[in-house]
Amino acid sequence: MTPGAAAERVFGSYQPMGSALESWPVGCKYVALLAVALPAFVVRQWPVTLAGLVLTVILLLSARLGWRRGLGVAPGFLILLAVVWGVNAWSNSWLAGAVIVGNLTLALWASRLVVMTTPAPVLIDALVGLTRPLARWGFRPERFGLAVLIMVRSIPYLAGAFATIREAVRARGLRGRLGAQATQVVIRAVGYAQATGDAMTARGLGD
Amino acid sequence: MITFQDVGVTVATPTGPRQLLRHLTVELSQQRVVVLGANGSGKSTLLRLINGLVTPTSGQVEVNQLSPFGRQAAAVRRQVGFVFTDPLSQLLMPTAVEDIELSLRHLVSDRAERHQQALALMDQWGLGRLAQSSVYDLSGGERQLVALLSVLAVRPRVIVADEPTTLLDLRNSRLLHERLAGLDQQIIVATHDLTWAETFDRALVIDDGQLVFDGQPAAAIDHYRHLAAGEPNRTVTEATHQSLDPDSASPDAVADGPDRWPT
Repeated sequence: MTPGAAAERVFGSYQPMGSALESWPVGCKYVALLAVALPAFVVRQWPVTLAGLVLTVILLLSARLGWRRGLGVAPGFLILLAVVWGVNAWSNSWLAGAVIVGNLTLALWASRLVVMTTPAPVLIDALVGLTRPLARWGFRPERFGLAVLIMVRSIPYLAGAFATIREAVRARGLRGRLGAQATQVVIRAVGYAQATGDAMTARGLGD
Repeated sequence: MITFQDVGVTVATPTGPRQLLRHLTVELSQQRVVVLGANGSGKSTLLRLINGLVTPTSGQVEVNQLSPFGRQAAAVRRQVGFVFTDPLSQLLMPTAVEDIELSLRHLVSDRAERHQQALALMDQWGLGRLAQSSVYDLSGGERQLVALLSVLAVRPRVIVADEPTTLLDLRNSRLLHERLAGLDQQIIVATHDLTWAETFDRALVIDDGQLVFDGQPAAAIDHYRHLAAGEPNRTVTEATHQSLDPDSASPDAVADGPDRWPT
């Protein structure tokens, strides 16, 4: 899997499906996201988490995203969840671990309610609009919108880079020394940041 | 018109300073110019100077009388579109049409209008069916065409392309060649595709940071082949003189050596 494809798998991307959720104003979608996800993080009790998950799944399926696109998660994320659960089950209780794992899944799925039902330019415009009042203090809303978008684009890329390097290490029959792999990921991250910066500069974005 | 006046680029490395480009003096007024040279010869550095991605350590660069550095940088970048080797590093948005829309942000403030214009541009290029596709689902060739279109959307006067077909198969390379050939803009390209290089108006050969040949593509390719084979370049001056073609030479071009584009 290329790093780019990994980006797709984590957050998902917008495809027009003609659902009702798509036509909601983006502000309402953000409110819906907070409404389903925030209580679970504040209360941290399993019934609240479960209710949030059920609601989110219903909303995602109503957006005609389908089970695979709407609810599928990357294998790396599953491993992360398993580790988090394991650590918490050992140090606390399996139920506490389940609540944390449930909340992480809830956050991921709830973010898709916005990301997968809204074209990226609309998301940027919403952020730019929201921060426009700050412009009088020297804040640059256009840059902010773009920066958030680049951030969202970058996190899964880096996750993908880690996977690629692990494959390269295996392909050469080497055993994974995590330190060496991490160094490679950092080097890639810097290269990626430079390439993205160059592309933005070359396109006159942020001028 | 793009001019380089005694341009040098030096970078610091752990083993000491390294010269990427030295004493480059050249004027590019032809519509289609190709830059040839080995990997690491300084081709990319030359191209990146044109839109200010690299800053010269010494000398002057001008694009249509503007400097790509400092106060006029933004104005130059609006005039110069840059196409990278890997289109994925250039495409910043999740889907193709959104990326074209990103380019149009400066020109069209209304979002719906921007979307319509982006779709219309893609249709014009026969890429309409890819509009909603994720940029990761496109083939290499489709990605490079979308990247080129996203650059053209801002209506630049100059297109600079750094090995734009290196990652493409034969069919997609040809498609990109055709697209670029159909443009009115001035085009400066670095490539290893020597058959394509023959179709340009003028060719520069860069070796070890220096301009070693400047003239007709056929002669330049010959020169480059000799360089690559490690043979002494006896043919340099012959080839250059054969390539003298007063009609295609710019009258005000600089000639400060036997291998330079003639005056």
